[in-house]
Amino acid sequence: MLWIKNGIVIDPKNGIEGEKMDIFVKEGKIVEESEVNKEECKVIDASNKLVVAGGVEMHSHIAGSKINTGRSMRPEEMRVVRNVAGKFRAVVGRVLLTAPGIGYEYAKMGYTTAVEAASPPIGSPHTHEELDAIPILDKAALPVFGNWHFVFKFVSEKDQEKLQAFIAWAIERTKGYGVKIVNPGGVEKWMYGSNVRTLDDEVPIYGVTPREIITEVVKANEALNLPHCVHIHCNNLGVPGNYETTIETMKLVSGMKNENRPVLHVTHVQFNAYAGSSWRDVSSGAEEIAKYVNKTDNITIDMGQPIFGHATAMTGDAPFQFTLHRLTGARWSNKDTEIEGGAGIVPLVYLPKNPVHALQWAIGLELGLLIDSDKVVISTDWPNGGPFTEYPYIMAMLMSKRMREKELERVSPYVQKASSLPAIDTEKTLYEVIKMSRSLPAKILGMENKGHLGVGADADIAIYDINPNEVDPSVEYELINKAFRKPAYTIKGGEIVVKDGELVAETWGRTFWVDATKKVSMEAIESDLDEYFQNYYSVERINFGVDERWVKKPARLEVK
Amino acid sequence: MMLILKPKKDFEVSVEAEITPDLAEKSEEEIKNFEVWYGKYKVKLGELFEIKKEGDEKKLVLEGDFSRVKWIGRGMPDGEIIVKGSVGAHCGAFMSGGKIVVEGNADDWLGAEMSGGEIVVKGNAKNLVGCAYYGDLEGMKGGKILIEGNAGNYIGEKMAGGEIEIKGNAGDFVGTEMKNGTIIVHGDCGFVGGDMKGGTIKIGGKFDLLPSFKKAEDGWVGDINVGGEGKIVKI
Ligand SMILES: [Zn+2]
Repeated sequence: MLWIKNGIVIDPKNGIEGEKMDIFVKEGKIVEESEVNKEECKVIDASNKLVVAGGVEMHSHIAGSKINTGRSMRPEEMRVVRNVAGKFRAVVGRVLLTAPGIGYEYAKMGYTTAVEAASPPIGSPHTHEELDAIPILDKAALPVFGNWHFVFKFVSEKDQEKLQAFIAWAIERTKGYGVKIVNPGGVEKWMYGSNVRTLDDEVPIYGVTPREIITEVVKANEALNLPHCVHIHCNNLGVPGNYETTIETMKLVSGMKNENRPVLHVTHVQFNAYAGSSWRDVSSGAEEIAKYVNKTDNITIDMGQPIFGHATAMTGDAPFQFTLHRLTGARWSNKDTEIEGGAGIVPLVYLPKNPVHALQWAIGLELGLLIDSDKVVISTDWPNGGPFTEYPYIMAMLMSKRMREKELERVSPYVQKASSLPAIDTEKTLYEVIKMSRSLPAKILGMENKGHLGVGADADIAIYDINPNEVDPSVEYELINKAFRKPAYTIKGGEIVVKDGELVAETWGRTFWVDATKKVSMEAIESDLDEYFQNYYSVERINFGVDERWVKKPARLEVK
Repeated sequence: MMLILKPKKDFEVSVEAEITPDLAEKSEEEIKNFEVWYGKYKVKLGELFEIKKEGDEKKLVLEGDFSRVKWIGRGMPDGEIIVKGSVGAHCGAFMSGGKIVVEGNADDWLGAEMSGGEIVVKGNAKNLVGCAYYGDLEGMKGGKILIEGNAGNYIGEKMAGGEIEIKGNAGDFVGTEMKNGTIIVHGDCGFVGGDMKGGTIKIGGKFDLLPSFKKAEDGWVGDINVGGEGKIVKI
């Protein structure tokens, strides 16, 4: 039992904005004062400190074949020792961390939940093995659907019933959490040597278009009432002029509604918010996207903020990775995952003086600043945009124009004419950045007990050494940047795991997965599954996927 | 102070000792307690080596067989190391100044990623002289490596500056992915300049040229596969 005393609480989901409060914890949950025996409580003095829910990472690449291939193709990353084995496990990595380091570093920043945002279904045993190696955090993984032949087939046959059954089957088999689509149709088309360029380009053999794939998959996701909405990495990623494709994609769900969450989450939008016709005249399309997102009520995005320094691009978007490799001359690894999709990996460094990199950096911030804080989540799309450990920097930048002005001095002047960042006066409040890193991602993921401090919530709590009623983030941005890197406490499921920025305990979180199989009739797709496994898979159907007993601490969410 | 080290025994496993001339300026106590790895065990320098101090130069003299001692002179900024015998791998890696003279032979990774200073090997050197470590983008960036005998394969891979001179022969893949700087091989060598972007390779003897180099006035230019403008010159 914990008694967190006299903290200054910010809890956007429950409308609490800097109130002095006590919080009580029992059996890993936040409870009413009357539920605990104060004599038996461990007391944490949070006087003059900020008390918030643990951070929720909704889009990061923390486990599975991509990150692991990245590690093996970047030996130079593995020469940076971050933690020598002793009380806690050894950790190496500069921007690509080894599995224990992922759990430790998120916790050391006050984050307590993280979602792997792209898991190749046939690689799901590997994904779960790696998730199981990440301490502290609660976790989940999103299998990728946008280039899976079953999806093409059922979409081309306009068979919603089969599509829904298939999605429910696949999420159960992979112990996945929701539906991710990456460059829908484009990765398959790349296997034939090209890519889709518009929402109406056809996928070879199946003749379906990205427009049809996205629309039908969103419909299926809504019909199944999955906790998380469709999570999309748009077509034309990394291509100048692509902001139009992004807005067109968003328009596909206009008119659709869900009471509890958006119906479409568009991820790492920075990479999809370019105007112009080539890298010579590229400029920001963030304002247009922000305008569209702000006037709709069923779409959210995350930033995909680049951080200057080392990064590693890794996505299920194989054609984009190939283009990036050709553009930068950097190493490249390509993955073809049977009939399910592909992926690629390319190391890169964001340089402040490089005009394109500086523009990308500016666009991420523009999105964060121009979009309402209940529609945009903080992310770097780790390790694509850079280290997640720089979230405190992003938070401070969003809250301080002064800090942005200082940073603008060191980046390429190209930003001045190609983006609106220098002219943006908006300064998000502490309340807003807490929303963008806690309650909003939890809401989009449909994780009811995450991202807030109300009674019944998981006791995932971060306490920072700042008093929200006294600090002025617009001026004291350095203090903010520092404090968010070194929580006074991180509490995970009621246990203190970090104290004064240092790890003090290693715990094991749960892996959430979603079971919607009772909502569908599996018979509808039996013969299709048999046929495809017999003809196209390297494994038998019976051997495909992950059994619940293989997962360290599974948490099954049944969809009603 | 000049510091003289002598191995107390034949080493059963390799020793990882990042010893630099800085050590000569420390107290005898500190030198004895300087930590090195002996296989998987961390041990004190004094357990493995006899230690003697004399004179007043910032200099390290290594007497005897150091061929199983790795990382000698790693990252040294100044001073001098004289090895009266052979050295193990990674000698002079990351060094930025000063001088290392090896009277015997050198092992792999001699002067890897060095940025300044000078290395002279009177005997032979093995592979990967002046190279980039796996995954890094640039090898040697400055300084000079002189090998009076022969050298092995992968000399100056990803080299970005400085000079490597080999009086004898070298193996295959000289200057692979080279960006800048100069490699001189007085004797024969195998394939040269694969994926070379810039810099110059001068060769006295026979060598194998890839088909992706084009003839120029004073030699060949390439590697055209990567749009390179490196030069291969016969001397
Ligand atoms: Zn991503």
